[in-house]
Formats: sequence, C-alpha cells, structure tokens
Amino acid sequence: MKLLHKLKLESLLLPVLALLACGLIWQMIAGSNVTVTKVDDWGDKVTTTKRVGLSQDLPTPVETWTASKSYITEPFAKRGELDQGILRFTWLSLKLVAQGYFLALLVATPLGFFLGLSKTFTKAFDPLIQILRPVSPLAWLPLGLVLFSGVKVLDAAGRTTFGASDAASLFTIAICSMWPTVMNTAVGVRAVPQDYLNVAKVLKLSKGKTLLKVLLPATLPYMFTGFRLSLGIAWLVIVAVEMLTGRPGVGGFLWQQYNASSYAHIILCILTIGVVGYILDRLMSVVEGRFKTA
Amino acid sequence: MALIELNNVTKAFDSNVILQGTNLTVNQGEFVSIIGYSGSGKTTLISLIAGLQKPTSGEAKFNGEVITGTGLERGMVFQNYSLLPWLTVEENVALAVEAAFPTWGAAQRAEHVAKYVKMVNLSHAAKKFPKELSGGMRQRVSVARALSMEPKVLLLDEPLSALDALTRATLQDEISAIWEATRTTVIWITNDPDEALLLADRVIPLTPGPAAKLGPEILVPLPRPRDRKTIGASKEFKALRAELVDWLIAAKGAQRTTLTRKFVLPDILPEDLTTKNSLQFLQRRGPRRRYEVNAEEVEVTQA
Repeated sequence: MKLLHKLKLESLLLPVLALLACGLIWQMIAGSNVTVTKVDDWGDKVTTTKRVGLSQDLPTPVETWTASKSYITEPFAKRGELDQGILRFTWLSLKLVAQGYFLALLVATPLGFFLGLSKTFTKAFDPLIQILRPVSPLAWLPLGLVLFSGVKVLDAAGRTTFGASDAASLFTIAICSMWPTVMNTAVGVRAVPQDYLNVAKVLKLSKGKTLLKVLLPATLPYMFTGFRLSLGIAWLVIVAVEMLTGRPGVGGFLWQQYNASSYAHIILCILTIGVVGYILDRLMSVVEGRFKTA
Repeated sequence: MALIELNNVTKAFDSNVILQGTNLTVNQGEFVSIIGYSGSGKTTLISLIAGLQKPTSGEAKFNGEVITGTGLERGMVFQNYSLLPWLTVEENVALAVEAAFPTWGAAQRAEHVAKYVKMVNLSHAAKKFPKELSGGMRQRVSVARALSMEPKVLLLDEPLSALDALTRATLQDEISAIWEATRTTVIWITNDPDEALLLADRVIPLTPGPAAKLGPEILVPLPRPRDRKTIGASKEFKALRAELVDWLIAAKGAQRTTLTRKFVLPDILPEDLTTKNSLQFLQRRGPRRRYEVNAEEVEVTQA
C-alpha cells in the first residue's frame, strides 16, 4: 500500500504540482486586460482597454486556451494555407522532417562506417566534421538556397512542386541532424569487440559478409542511439527552416502568428513542438531498445 | 607427418618479447596440450598457429606451408566463446558451415548444422540465443562451430577456463568422446594440469613470460578411453602429474628470483569505528595519516 501510494505520488502528483507551479508563474507574469472608462476633455465617455502586467503582451493561460481552442478542437481543418488545424500543421512539418531525416541517415550511416573503419579517413575528415558540426541551421539554410538555386521541378500544370526552398530545407535538416548518427556509428564500429572480428577472420568471411554479418549487427545499438539523437535535432531544426522559408507547418505558423501579433498561438506552437518531439523520442527509444543485443 | 611446425618462432610487441625461440611439431591425429601460467603467452602461441597474428621472426608452418593468415582448415575455439549474440545457436554454426562449404545447397547445410548441434547435445536449444544459454552450453556451441568446418586441426584456447569445475569435467568428457570418434588433430591450451593429462597424448609446458619458451614435453601413455574416476588414482597419472607440476613450479621459481618487489604501506592509520557517538560527524575527524602522528621523543637520563 505504502509503495503504491509512493509510486502514485512520485509519478503523477509531482509532475502535476510542477505543472501547476509553472502555470502559476506564467499567470503571474502574463498581462491582463484592464478596461478604463473615463470622461475626456470633451465630456465624452471613453472606454480604453489596455494590458497591464509584468509582461503585458504575454497572454495568460486562459487566454491562450481560448485563442487556440479552434486549432485544437478542429485539428485537421484547413481554412487557408497558413491557417490550418494544429495536427495538419504538425503533419506537414513531420513530412518534411521525415524526408530530411532519411536523407541524413542515408549519408550519415556510411560516413560513420568509413570513419569507424579507416584511421586515415578519420584523420582526414575528423577536423572538418568537428568544425561543421556546431554550425546552426540558420547558417546552413541560406547556403542551401544558394546551392540549390537552380532546382525547379514542375508538374503538368506548370506549378513548381519542388523548388529551391524545398531543396534547401531538406539540405538544412539533413546536414544538421546527421552528426549524431555519424559520430555514434563511428564509435560503434570502433567498439566492435575484437572477439567478433577474430571470429570473422577465423571463418575467413569476405569483406562484405563481415560487414553484413558481424560489423553491422554489432554496431546497430550504437547506430540507433545516433538515429534517436538525429531525429531530435531534425525536429529542432524544422522550426528554423519553416520560419526562414515561410513554409506552412508548425514553425511557419509560429512565425506568422508572431508577425500577426497573435501571441497565444506562439505558445500553442511551442507546446505542440515539445509534445511531438517527446513522442518521437519515446518511439525511437522503444525501437532502440529492440536492437540492444548483448 | 608433421601437420604443424613452429621453427624458432619469436613474437614481440615493440620491445615486449612474448615468445622467444619456440619450436613445436604436431603430427596428424595428435592431441597436444600446452600448459602454462596465465599471461605466459599461450594465447599468442595459438594465435600464431591460427594465423590471427604473425611471428616477429621464425616461421609457423601448416601442412608444410608457411602460415600467412587464418584458414578454414584450422578451426578455433576461443576462451570467451565469441559467439555472435544476434544469431541463434543454429545460425552461429551455420555461419561457419556457409563459410567452409560455400558450394553446398541449403538443405545439405542445414543437415550438417543439425548434425554438429546434436553432437554437442544442444539440439533442444538450437533456436536459442547465446544469452539464453549457460557458459557451458555456449562453449559447446563454440566447439560445434569449429568442428562443423571439418578442420584438419582444432585449436582450443583455454576453452573451459571460464566454467565452473563440474561443467568443466562434463565438457572434458564430452569433448574427449568427440575427439575419440573424429580423431582430428587438436592443440588444447590450458592452465589446468589435470585437464591436460586427462585429455592429451602429449603435454608441453610453457615457461612463465615474458619471453616464454616451450619446456620439455611429457608423453602421456595412458590408455584410452580414460575414465576420470579411476585414472586420478593410478600411479602413472600421479607420477606424470607430479613431474608436470614440479616443472611448472620450478620454472616459476626460477623466474621469481629475478623479481624484486617493494611493498609500500598506505600512509593511513586505522580508525576506531566502535565508539558510538550521536554527534559523530563533529567529533570524529576521519582517518589520520602516519605523518600526522605527533610522536614526542623524551630523553630520559638515568641517574
């Protein structure tokens, strides 16, 4: 009984308390509408509404909910290109992330293997990788736009279906999110126990077979750790990419609503991004757990 | 006919000499055991024969040809089993069968795998993964994997060292029975004199490292099959055992005289933990160092 009590307290009550505390702080610093009615110099009654508070423009939790309600209750509505239900936006963002992410894995996994297998390759490329790794997505995107300025795929009706900004978006997501996979794969390949390699040698396995039957399975747990971290970064980058390119999506919506002074929606977007990121991470860690061998 | 020959083989890593001027001849169908202290270079010796390492000088020959790399005609059983954890028992063995007999069809391979899995009494666990098996069972898989390649020589590097005594005895008997049925040439590395004498035709001791050498061989003329229950009590076995152990101890003793050891005592004084005090953290000041002891020397002049 005591254990159950303790379990509930710790896993349920404490997070709720923390949430309430944060909500309270939010409420305290958020602004509120104050309506003042006064008689002006001409004798007219004038009603002015102004916001007061520590951070006047920050909407309160209740205001945020009221403003966001329609986006949450009709999550798949499409009222316009940049006015869609929140899940519809999320879906658009996820689609882009998935494309960029798979592009990243496609490049990062072989690169990681080369780094792990060849000391010469490591010596040659490691400094370059260490320099490129910390570069922000905001810096990569303009380069992507320049790099792919000529890209233009038209459909039958003559509309651009895949343009420079699409290519640049994918490029940015891919190049920012590939590094954890590269590093983890390289570490994983280097960490393959000598015993397994000895087995491969004693059995005279060919290079290809050694890679497929020994190196790859032994590296898989490391690779999946890299995949999980990469996915986290890809999701992080999406906001920056959508902001800069103005694509419809959670990040694009966020930036648009900031420009439209609709601040409640910013908070809605932030919460959505957080929740989706959390779900993605949980999903990947389940997959990751499946591949833990030894 | 000499199947394996080591001629004046020396193996060194930088200036660290592991094996020095080693000569060894193993004939077809022989069961040779090499015994030595841990760290004396036994694994290095067998790695040279397996082709996992190359000698610094001298030459290692197999079937009259210089060993330049690993070969499928030399099967190896590792001390730590070295099974691939993502493959089942069957698949681990199948990997070796596939490597050794690439021209066979799937059915023939499967049959071959089943035969060797059965030989080591693991048919019931064929679909299990190594982590679901005990140490003894894992080592059996490793033996089955090596045997399934039908090698000309089986190299075993302390195969039973990681097992408990009871499992070790069972496996010794099982492997001994398999050997009597197949009569493959075997080189068995061990650190257990009883195991060496029970199994081998010939026991060769290795001097303690560094720069280990092979000592004089001891022939084991005991009749087979050897029964562990009766053999231990036999006079011949006891005599052989005494000879082997004496040689090993003498070799270690000769080594020891060259070692100088210096013991440095830790600079700490024992602390009395028995005193009970509610304010321990205030009262006790923790361990003292020897140099902190205030020793006062008082000179007393006797009148």
